Parts: sequence; C-alpha cells; structure tokens
Amino acid sequence: MLYVFQVLNGIGIGMIYFLISIGLTLIFGIMNFVNFAHGAFYLLGAYLGYQVALSTGSFTLALITAPLALAAIGWLSERYFLSRLYDIPHTYQILVTLGLSLVIQELVISIWGPVGTTVAIPEALRGVIFIGGFPYPKYRIFVVLFAGILALLVWFLLERTRYGALLRAGSESTQMVSMLGIDIYRLFSATFALGALLAGIAGVLSAPLRGTDPFMSGEALAIGFVVVVIGGLGRFEGALVGSILVGVVQSVMSSVWSEGANIMIYVAMGLVILLRPRGLFGRA
Amino acid sequence: MIMFGKIARDPVSWASLVFTTVLPFLIASVVQATEVLIFSTVTLACNLLLGYTGFLSFAQSAFLGVGAYACGYLLVHSGSGFLVSMVLATLAAAAAGALVGLLATQKRGIYGVMLTLALSQMFYFIAYAASDITGGDNGMSGIVRPDIVLFGAKLLRTDNATAFYCLSGVFFILVCVLLRLLLASPFGAVLVAIRENEERAIAIGYNTRLFKTLAFVISAAITGAAGALYAMFLSFAPLSNIDIAMSEKIVIMTVLGGSNSFFGPVLGATAYVLLSNVLSVVWQRWLLLLGIILILIAGFLRGGIWSIVVWLWDAATNMRSRRNQKNLAATQEGRQLI
Repeated sequence: MLYVFQVLNGIGIGMIYFLISIGLTLIFGIMNFVNFAHGAFYLLGAYLGYQVALSTGSFTLALITAPLALAAIGWLSERYFLSRLYDIPHTYQILVTLGLSLVIQELVISIWGPVGTTVAIPEALRGVIFIGGFPYPKYRIFVVLFAGILALLVWFLLERTRYGALLRAGSESTQMVSMLGIDIYRLFSATFALGALLAGIAGVLSAPLRGTDPFMSGEALAIGFVVVVIGGLGRFEGALVGSILVGVVQSVMSSVWSEGANIMIYVAMGLVILLRPRGLFGRA
Repeated sequence: MIMFGKIARDPVSWASLVFTTVLPFLIASVVQATEVLIFSTVTLACNLLLGYTGFLSFAQSAFLGVGAYACGYLLVHSGSGFLVSMVLATLAAAAAGALVGLLATQKRGIYGVMLTLALSQMFYFIAYAASDITGGDNGMSGIVRPDIVLFGAKLLRTDNATAFYCLSGVFFILVCVLLRLLLASPFGAVLVAIRENEERAIAIGYNTRLFKTLAFVISAAITGAAGALYAMFLSFAPLSNIDIAMSEKIVIMTVLGGSNSFFGPVLGATAYVLLSNVLSVVWQRWLLLLGIILILIAGFLRGGIWSIVVWLWDAATNMRSRRNQKNLAATQEGRQLI
C-alpha cells in the first residue's frame, strides 16, 4: 500500500514536471531554441504566486494571476528580445538566456531575499482524504487533478485546434508554414507565452509542496532537460510519459533509498540515451 | 627537442609566464592572485571544449568537484602526499570526464549541452547523497596542505601563501604549455575541424565522437587537478564546488574573456575574480550586473574582453604605423597571429 501512495506522489510530482517540460519541448520543437531561462520562469511563478496568495489570501487568485503575469513576461521577452536571437549560433542563444535567468534570479533575491520560505497549503485543500482506509493529503490529489485537466487542455490545443495544427506543422518545417501565408513570428510568440504560462502554473502549484527558494530554477531546468531527453524532443506524449516516469522513479526510490532518489532519475536518463538515443517517443 | 623549439617560439606560453610573474604585483594580494590562477586554469580547460571543439559544457563543476573531493579525501583519510593525491584526483576527474563525454557526445548541438547540464546535476546529487564521504551540505573540511616530498626529499612547503602561489603558477604555466602543444598537434586540428563543420570531419573519416570524448577527458583532467589545488587552497571542499552555479560561473568567465582566443579566458577569470571580490562587498546582488554583461557579450561582443584588448592594440599600432608610413593591412594581419 505504501508503494501505491509513492506512485501517487510520483504522479503528482510528475504532473508538475510535465507543466515545466512541455513548454521547453514545444519551444524547442518549433523554434529550435533552448530557453535556459525556462527554469527562471518557474521560479518567478512560484514567488509571484506566493506573494499574491500572501497579500490577498486567495490561492485561486494566485493560481490565475501569477501564470498570466508569466505569460505576459514570456510574450514580451520573446517579442522584443529573444526573437532577435534566432539567427545567431546556438551557443550564444544559450548564453543570452542564461544571462536572462541570472537577471531574474537576482531580481527575485533582491525582492524576496536569499533564504527560501515555506508556503502554506490553501485553507480549502488542507487535511487528508482517506483512500482505502489510508490517509492521503488533499492538496496532492488537487495537484494531480488540476494538472491532469491542464494536460488534457494542452493535448486538445495541440491536436484539435488550428493553433495546434500550425504548431505541429511548424515543428516539421517553419519555412513551409510561413510560405503558406502564416505569420510564423506570431506563432513563436504565442508558443513562448504558453510555455511561460505553464511553467508559471507549475511554480504556483509546487510552492506549497516544496517551499520556495531562489535556486529552484536550476533544479527545474535540469529536470526539464532529463524529461526532454527521456521522452524525445518536441513531443506531447514524450513530455507526459517522461515526466510521470521521472516523478514516479524519484518518488518510489525515495522510500527505498532516500538520498539516492535524485541520482536514479539521471541513471534512468543515461540508460535511455544509451538504449534509445532519440528518446522513448522521438522521431527518426 | 622540436617540442621545446615550438614552445620557445610560442608567444602565448611566454605570456603565461609573464602573467604569472606580474599578477601578484598588480593586484597586491597573493591569495587573490592564487584564486585568479586556479580559475584561469579551469577556464582554459573549459575553452578547450567551448572555443576549440565548439562544445558548450555545463559539466565543468562536476570535474572540479570530483577533483576537489578526491584530493581532500586522500589527504584527510589516507595520509597520501601531495603528488599522489594530485595524480589520483586528476585521474578521478578524467574518469568523470570520460563518462560525461561518452554520454553527452551521443547527441550533437543543443541536445549535447542539455546532457552536460543534466549529468552535472547527477554528480551534484551523488556528492549530496554520499555525505559520509563528502560531508554533504557542510562540505569536506580539515584539508591540510601537505609538503611536496619527492623520493624522501622535501621540495616545497605549501602552507604559506607565497609558496602556494608559486605552485599554482607552475601548474598554470604547465597547463598553458601542454594545451598549446596539444592544439598545435593534429589532434588539435581535428578538434577545430569538428567545431567548424562536424559533418565534414566525419566525411573525411574521423571518429568525431572519440575526439570529442577525448577532449572531455583532457578538459576534465585539467579541471580536476585545478579542483584539487582549489581544495588545498581553501583547506575545504564545499558542495557549491559541484553545483550547476559553478559550471555557469566557469562558462561565464570563459565567455567574458573571449572564447575565440586562447588567452582570453584567463582575462575573463581574472576580471570575474577581481570584480566579485570588489563588488560582492559593495553590492551583494552584483550577479544581476553580470547577467546583463553576459547578454551584451553574447549579443554584441562575442570576442569578450580579449577583442577589446586586440582592438586597443590595433588602434595603438595603427597610430604608430601611420607615423611610420607603414601599411595598415600588414600590421593587422600580423596581429591575427597571436
């Protein structure tokens, strides 16, 4: 029974990882651009959400406003700043976004201080639910459900809407899409905003679980990369399965060998690289 | 003999000697100068990958950390001397480099960069989990600087700051010379060929993965040896050595100095160490400024500080050459050689 709960925990963490990595993978898929500031978006989401919840007392408001603010920041930074970088070599793109993440991290430290805080679980979601006679925290159930609904929405957006069709076509060939008369740059901005929005939601959701600290961005970025490597770049299924796999491995291992739980996800990544270099869902 | 001739005629190797000699007088603190030299060596190793092979590696902190922990552990627990600890620490880091190299070179381009960052994080968690060896969050303390003993003869006491500076200086010059020889060799030419056009290097028949992995091993060995020195320098091996932030710091130093020159990274490390010592007292959040500088350099000044030095040199020589009625183009061409 313990393991069932560990798996459930793992799915919860995995859903948060999914929200982080889907943005990373979509942006890479269509723009061939790795955003090293993506972890910083998640960090900023966590702190903005914490601040809104603290000042207004409403977690719901935090869950709406902080991600929207992040979407705006993502849209603005793509539109007026990062979009100028598509022609420069990858190494320099990475360095610019690394600089951006450093700036965001230092801004966060100068506003909220260098020491992390714990974040209270919202009133309505405190306490436990009994599953088969065993108590399980309500908030974790909420995270799984909420992120699950979001994942469904993202799937719907990608597979059943015009935007999704353009995005999937764009990840095959941006040139072709733009020749068909689509404003490819608007598509880029929208995708960037979507990625930042989801990373922001991940930040708000994870703050009550793990607290906030200014250095959580590096960790999130590394996890995002692991998911992308395991699942294959640019794929919805890859990001989803990769995230849940990473979350479950981490969670189950933590009951077996708590210090080594984090090591195991990198071992899993190493195995995937050696056995399936393209990732579980990567295209040939 | 040919090797010695090559080095004797190599201006950069001489520059490393001059730099090491002049540095403590310029910044008037032997301790700071030692830190500058250690990080200069680390950036040279980073630039073997970034500048010459074209591989941006965020795993450098793993190599630095492995070297530091290995050396510290040997000194504290096994009672082995300076040379044995240094050699074994270097080998341990080289092994880590082989692992990272083998896995990260499975993928080219951005994917490879992402792998180095993820693998670096793995080493961090290993160091964190093995807290009975590494001290975990508290770091490994009680590392003493041993005397250098060779065949029973005491060569150098390292427990005073000046002696340790000299030691770091010898190491720095040695690394410069070795890297210059390496880059002048056919091996170095292949690395540059991979940077310029990997498909073409493969088409010519080179096993580029092997070469890139070897570049990782060499870079890791140098970084690990520098990490061992750093542990002795601090008498301490903190967990932050092996953190992603350290990798970012090393990459930023390298780019700040200029990754498309050999000596640029040394200037980057110097500038970073001095700036951080001055600014972190005045303004704790000085990394904000550094982030902006990094964006500006990546966007507008890819050559970093080194390109400013070259520009100033050109301006100066141009003025002189105008006075001497010399051909401008010829001097500029001459400048390119360094």
